[in-house]
Amino acid sequence: MALLDIKDLKVHFPIRGGLFGRAVGEVKAVDGVSLSIEQGSTYGLVGESGSGKTTTGRAIIGLNAITSGRVMFEGKDLNEGGKRSLLNARRDVQMIFQDPYSSLNPKKRVIDIVAEPLRNFERLSAQEEKRRVRELLEQVGLSAETIYKYPHEFSGGQRQRIGIARAIALKPKLIIADEPVSALDVSVQAQVLNFMQDIQKELNLTYLFISHDLGIIRHMCDHIGIMYKGRHVEQGTTSDIFHNPQHIYTKRLLAAIPDIDPTEREKQRQFRAAVKAEYDQAYRDYFDEEGLAYSLRPISSTHLVALPGKGG
Amino acid sequence: MSKLATAEADRSPSGWKIIWREIVRDKVAFASFLFLGLIIVFVYGISLVLDQKQIVTVDLFSLYKPPSAEFWLGTDYGGRDVFGQLIIGTRNSLSIGIIVTLMTGIIGILIGLLSGYFGGSVDNVFMRFVDFFMILPTLMIVIAFVTAVPKYSIISFSLIMTAFLWMGIARLIRSKALQERELDYIQASRTLGSSHLKIMFTQLLPNLSSIIIVTMTLNLAANIGLESGLSFLGFGFPESTPSLGTLVSYARNPQTLESRWWIWLPASVLILVLMLSINNVGQALKRATDARQRKG
Repeated sequence: MALLDIKDLKVHFPIRGGLFGRAVGEVKAVDGVSLSIEQGSTYGLVGESGSGKTTTGRAIIGLNAITSGRVMFEGKDLNEGGKRSLLNARRDVQMIFQDPYSSLNPKKRVIDIVAEPLRNFERLSAQEEKRRVRELLEQVGLSAETIYKYPHEFSGGQRQRIGIARAIALKPKLIIADEPVSALDVSVQAQVLNFMQDIQKELNLTYLFISHDLGIIRHMCDHIGIMYKGRHVEQGTTSDIFHNPQHIYTKRLLAAIPDIDPTEREKQRQFRAAVKAEYDQAYRDYFDEEGLAYSLRPISSTHLVALPGKGG
Repeated sequence: MSKLATAEADRSPSGWKIIWREIVRDKVAFASFLFLGLIIVFVYGISLVLDQKQIVTVDLFSLYKPPSAEFWLGTDYGGRDVFGQLIIGTRNSLSIGIIVTLMTGIIGILIGLLSGYFGGSVDNVFMRFVDFFMILPTLMIVIAFVTAVPKYSIISFSLIMTAFLWMGIARLIRSKALQERELDYIQASRTLGSSHLKIMFTQLLPNLSSIIIVTMTLNLAANIGLESGLSFLGFGFPESTPSLGTLVSYARNPQTLESRWWIWLPASVLILVLMLSINNVGQALKRATDARQRKG
């Protein structure tokens, strides 16, 4: 059984307008997303800005209300059973935020930030708590002496490590990483990513990795889902997506990955132009009248593509 | 020992240290701060040994005495010692200012936090409530209350003032809380299992502390002014409970205004200097909350 199983998740936001703030329409931020993640693996959610990948992650952890659909965690529906079950699930599902600057309270010392989940769920003495926080900080590669410092005394990468230490404090099973490195500079990105892989092995973590950077996704993930306008266009293992892309949107996305070899520059440009031409030509076939993707259909045991068809 | 010192130096300055440094750097604010401290210690200290009953007792044999060794600031039309009235009046005015500021602060912070943190319909309900209080003709209602309540003390007078003065700070806190709650650390606290109340008071409130300190300080000056104004108009304290306002209101008698300066001048000057000093300190605090404006 998969650790996390999402069935037809929809998150719609009302657009309020008019004199009395009535709902005059909806934004379908997430519109029918299904995915499942196995224990210990990493699932990458890719898509352009506004494609609904972040909203999907936030809906799983309960920061956005779910309009319809089911989120099953370890076989239990997170929507049922009210606040209690959500609170218990919070222990096992944690989140790493995109912006390491706004995700740490500037008025709190590191010890208070990292110990916040421990104080909510575990009854520890002050001594034990301090020891645990020191351990966690060492685990994420920060010196244990930093516990009395404030967030602004750290660099972006160090702050993100504090965020990770906070997320792993309760030994969760699933971590939703919402673009955890996109606010960091490239040299620090690799550091944080490798470190995330290390603790994944160490703690047998499962990641839902949200990013728009295909290079990072390829480096990190076993399975990939590509989103466009709130829907999946293609889903499969990393090699399915990178070696056998079927949907024109995926092909175009992959063509946009920069190649660092300058001798290939002209070839790359032509390739990209060819993909763009194909995309423009086939756009009407691959998307419906509203510009949305069709439903996913399996083309192999692991690979699903939103191919055009009457069943859509 | 030296290790301890470097560890101390590594730590960034705390909010209190920044505020203190800002006040010390600004000569005017520092002088005002010292002056305020002196006045408060002096007034509350001396009023402990003064006997209010004896001071406000009418003495027909010493009407309108100019300043002398016996009466340092002379006497008023009832033969009452102006110096004693000044000390007790300043104490009463300061007490009311402080009590009203604290009470409006507490109510304003509670309502502002609730409405800013939850937003949406909670915010709507609270803000309509605030709007209702805002459109009331405050001064008139306070006057009506004061006339209706037959015997009032510092506490009941403060309560009346508080009832109509909490809206400004509630609005301010609400707007700041609305901004702050969108930041990721509030969301992060939710995912870490903290309750709404816990987030409001342990995560959100500390980030609003600087603005709270600044507004409360500036409100203190305004509240003292308001109390003096009401007493001057005759709707504050009766003469048996002197305040800065009652002393100034003796100047409504033209003869007193013209030839008996010792009755009203000291109180007037004290009001002016007190308000200026509090405002100076408040401005320094305001600068301390914004790194770009700091002098220190």
